[in-house]
Amino acid sequence: MSIEVISSSKTYNQFKALDHVSLKVETGELVSLLGPSGCGKTTLLRVIAGIETPDLDSGPVLFDGRDVSSYDVGNRRIGFVFQSYALFKHMSVFENIAFGLRAKPWRQRQGESKIREKVRELLQLVQLQNFAERYPAQLSGGQRQRVALARALAVEPKVLLLDEPFGALDATVRHELRRWLRKLQSQIHVTTILVTHDQEEALEVSDRVAVMNKGRIEQIAPPETIYNHPATPFVFKFLGTYNLFHARKQNGGAAGPSNGGGETFVRPHDIEISRENPDGSGIAARVSHIAFAGSTVNVELTRIDDQAVVDAALSTHTYKDLGLRPDDKVFIRLHNTRSFDHEHVI
Amino acid sequence: MLAENAHILRVSGKPGAQGRIFVRRLSIAITVTFLTLFVIIPAVNVFGQAFSKGIDAYVGAFVGPSQPAEGTKLSLSERRKLNTQRGQVEKNWHAIRLTLGVAAIVVPLNIVFGFAAAWSVTKFRFFGRAVLVALIDLPFSVSPVIAGLIYVLLFGRTGVLGDWATHLTWPDPFSFHWKGFTDGWWPLEFTQSYTGIIFTPFAIVLASIFVTFPFVARSLISLMETQGSDEEVAALSLGASGWRTFWNVTVPNVKWALLYGVILCTARAFGEFGAVSVVSGHIDSNDTMPLRIEKLWNEYNNQAAFSVASLLALVAVFTLVLQLVADRQSGNDALRRPKN
Repeated sequence: MSIEVISSSKTYNQFKALDHVSLKVETGELVSLLGPSGCGKTTLLRVIAGIETPDLDSGPVLFDGRDVSSYDVGNRRIGFVFQSYALFKHMSVFENIAFGLRAKPWRQRQGESKIREKVRELLQLVQLQNFAERYPAQLSGGQRQRVALARALAVEPKVLLLDEPFGALDATVRHELRRWLRKLQSQIHVTTILVTHDQEEALEVSDRVAVMNKGRIEQIAPPETIYNHPATPFVFKFLGTYNLFHARKQNGGAAGPSNGGGETFVRPHDIEISRENPDGSGIAARVSHIAFAGSTVNVELTRIDDQAVVDAALSTHTYKDLGLRPDDKVFIRLHNTRSFDHEHVI
Repeated sequence: MLAENAHILRVSGKPGAQGRIFVRRLSIAITVTFLTLFVIIPAVNVFGQAFSKGIDAYVGAFVGPSQPAEGTKLSLSERRKLNTQRGQVEKNWHAIRLTLGVAAIVVPLNIVFGFAAAWSVTKFRFFGRAVLVALIDLPFSVSPVIAGLIYVLLFGRTGVLGDWATHLTWPDPFSFHWKGFTDGWWPLEFTQSYTGIIFTPFAIVLASIFVTFPFVARSLISLMETQGSDEEVAALSLGASGWRTFWNVTVPNVKWALLYGVILCTARAFGEFGAVSVVSGHIDSNDTMPLRIEKLWNEYNNQAAFSVASLLALVAVFTLVLQLVADRQSGNDALRRPKN
């Protein structure tokens, strides 16, 4: 089912959580809403779910072209998954998953054997066949979230809405569940919206990513486009660490941006460090600090001309080949620079 | 809590450990002494006094003197004594019945109010919410005597609603009985009725509601605030009705806190003196147990007073045990909430 939000706003005590946001998600697509806390991503999700009512001047929410604005959360056929899992503590895993099936009006309710069969299927889907009789308190965080997902899927929702589903889990489990979710989504092909503040997560699992800031969507595009061609400085900044070069300063070489009055951003891993400067294009800098960070080595440099700090990330191989030491004098070159005009700068 | 802290103190490092041990012992000693002096000794004394004239006298407060054997000649004074004793027993039982009856009305109302208040305050954000929360605490800060006076000033003869209230006639629930299908299709009727509100059991119920209404609301609010409403929203999103969500999700989550509130509310409804005393008008038929105890005491019938008091003390002991259980369980409910 496709989802369309048209010009939705939500104001809490004069705070604009959503500012005329429009969004279209195609059938079977997985779209992430990515942004810092307070950017309105959860509010947008809750408006789509029907948990929050948007402001009066908002446009409608359409499911498959049909206006569902007047439907409450129970009638929109959505599956909602919370960061806090929101499992029913006093019910077993089995009963949790069966809840939606048992809660149906009796005319639509299936027989007990049908319900059991369905729950068993779902338990298999989330790989928790042996945990049916456990209680939520006896499960790990990852297992709880899988139960929550199975519970949401039990009522065969047309839309899956995930509110920071992996936010409370540790990094390894998060990685694992992320992959699993991607697989699951391609398997059951349900339209999914995922809210997250984790760039890596959004880029890895989504068909498209919507980067949000201050109640607005800054850019919505496939992950590669978002990363390689960010539309605004905010998107660039939010997607990773960066170095900022002001254009008005003469950079002492061709590496500086050509247009005046703008700003140039460069990712740390797009900074090349070399010991020689044969063509004069490098910027002279001094190594001020070296930090080992697992797969990469983060090198902090100070430019010799204006004492600005530049962060570079090297692979361990490059680092070894260069044999860098603190206080070494080197030359840096910028690759994949990205410039924005001042009017875009927030 | 105490045990936890003691543990922390025990494992703390050597420097200053002597001083900490001293503080620990001193604080525990003060607490124990205090409780012994002001709670344990008086409580034990209640039972001691109640049984001071033997078990027969204790039972005598609740069971009237046995009928003298057929043909026994009794002197006038003996007969009068017998009648007084029967009257006392009858009054004691009346007080017990009234107290239970009042609690039976007050506690369910309290549960309904408590849920309504807790639900509105914790699940919604609206203008005046903070004021509402503060108002719920009001009875804790107002003297019960004032609570009683409020109703006298409202419903009394010269009160704001005095004209209406003093002429209000309402049936006595205790007189509700089966009369059979002798005339008409309705087989039940009230045989007695009251007129007015003040100085009737109606006022006692009102005063008791006033002094007890924070109990259930308070214990529910604090728990529901920490639990949030994610589970309810999840249930609703799965298509459950509001009714089903309430009974299958909300109530199980707060049942121990609810029990805790109900226990405190019941104990207070049984034991309230000040507010009830003001609105009862010191009429014998309006005596609840605490009022009855006071009257017995004023009549120099100390042993009987303590006998009735011992019943309230037993309720207190029972409450204490239940409270310990409910407190621990409701603490678990709060802890079992997954961390964000």
